[in-house]
Amino acid sequence: MRFTEFFRDRYFTYISCALTFAVMLVFMKAFHIQIQLIIIIGVIFWLMVIIGETWEFLRKRKFYNDLFDKLDSLDKKYLISEMLMSPGFYEGQLLCEILHQTDKSMYENAAEYRRSASEFREFIEMWVHEIKLPVSSLLLMTHNNKSEFSGKALEQLRRIDGYTDTVLYYARSENAEKDYLINDVSLKRTVSNVAVKNRESLLLRDVSLHTEGLDVNVLTDGKWLEFILGQLLSNSLKFFPEGRNAEIKISAEKFQDRTVLRFRDNGIGIPENDLPYIFEKSFTGENGRLGAGSTGMGLYIVKNLCSRLGHEISVNSIKNEFTEFEIIFTKNDFYKFE
Amino acid sequence: MSKIFIVEDDASIRTELSQLLENAGYLTETLTSFDDPKEKILASNSDLILLDINLPKINGEMLLKELRKVSETPVIMVTSRTSETDEVLSMSYGADDYITKPYNPTILLLRISAVLKRASKTGTNQTYRDLQVNMAKGSLSSDKDEIILTKNEMIIFQLLLDKQGEIVTRDELMTALWDNDEYVNDNALTVNVSRLRAKLSGFGYDDAVETRKKQGYVLK
Repeated sequence: MRFTEFFRDRYFTYISCALTFAVMLVFMKAFHIQIQLIIIIGVIFWLMVIIGETWEFLRKRKFYNDLFDKLDSLDKKYLISEMLMSPGFYEGQLLCEILHQTDKSMYENAAEYRRSASEFREFIEMWVHEIKLPVSSLLLMTHNNKSEFSGKALEQLRRIDGYTDTVLYYARSENAEKDYLINDVSLKRTVSNVAVKNRESLLLRDVSLHTEGLDVNVLTDGKWLEFILGQLLSNSLKFFPEGRNAEIKISAEKFQDRTVLRFRDNGIGIPENDLPYIFEKSFTGENGRLGAGSTGMGLYIVKNLCSRLGHEISVNSIKNEFTEFEIIFTKNDFYKFE
Repeated sequence: MSKIFIVEDDASIRTELSQLLENAGYLTETLTSFDDPKEKILASNSDLILLDINLPKINGEMLLKELRKVSETPVIMVTSRTSETDEVLSMSYGADDYITKPYNPTILLLRISAVLKRASKTGTNQTYRDLQVNMAKGSLSSDKDEIILTKNEMIIFQLLLDKQGEIVTRDELMTALWDNDEYVNDNALTVNVSRLRAKLSGFGYDDAVETRKKQGYVLK
């Protein structure tokens, strides 16, 4: 709070003081009051005005400066009404009252949205579990009644299952609630689950899968990690150029304070210009325009899931040579005691 | 013949699953009403239980916990619930395996036979004609001779031996290999089978593994 602004704001008070003093002067002149007395009255009058205004300025400044300091230091600015010091003046009390009321209304509004978002997510979870039942049923039927049509049907069923998982994990990744479970997960088992699930697609495209050093455990949510690797794998499979010994290599390296999981393919790679954006929502880039139905959501969800689990994910690629994703699992003893 | 009890509330899956298991040579029993499932399961005297989690009236994890108080029958959880919490909880309550829907039927069958084998504690030392199969060493031995099989050859031989006299499809062999972290392709499978065949010839069993065109292999 600046004095000049405060002074300018109260110019009407000073004008009326000046007028009052002028009128007083006129009357004092009319009653032939001694000049010394007039001066004394004048000094006392203006001194009172100055003292009064200074006091007024100081107490307001104290309140507002405190308010702005707290506002600056707050991460969530709407919490300010909880931290206000009690103002010693009327306008301040009004301001506090207003802040409290608007905050309350904002909270109610936000709670309403939070509730409906979480209801929506619960519905999605339930729906995904339900849709998996007819898909399982169809898978079994296809298996029990083998025909030349089975293979094609299986491929389509797997696609349905993949898309459903994307919805599920999108809902999970956008939600603030903690619905994952960190525990000691074997990378070997996780990779194996992903590989088995995608075996037909890998063999169909003649992609050979190599693994190395996966005999380590990391602290993560096994199911989330499976989804993450599944996404990386299905991305890779989308973009293998013809006539090349297609290879995917999944390897892990253990360091003292972290474990690094690398997912590398020798596919078409990612253009350098696109690299910084591939984790962004709805970004499809140059490769996305090659067809194959890119929604730009897969890697966005992957990134989101990683950051919620506390893993770092990064990408390195050279166009037409390779793409390598790196996920870093830090050793966090904090989780172990949970 | 092993008997498998299916606890599944989706009628269509239940029917198809029974068919799958019966085709694979198991006896099955299912639950159609879910009053007092625990008693019915125990009364059936099954060798293995396939248990869903989302059930009417009762939660599969709770049912498993109750079952484990009185029975050691192997249980495989088969569920559409894909959260780590459910899996960790089920395993801690004593499930033998956890498979999420929709599953690959071949994998389900492999896992069932693995769990059954573990439970009956056979399979550690099987025999083929006059050969001893040493799983731990990964070798075949006769009175005079011993031949080491690679991991892949052992997986293939094991599966053929379990279904001796029946056709084992390439898909089944492939699934078994992949389920054991051996990510081989079609050519590699063919090569592995030929090598296995050659090793068996070493014992004088020249036509042990027979190829059935477009169907698979049979161990005679």
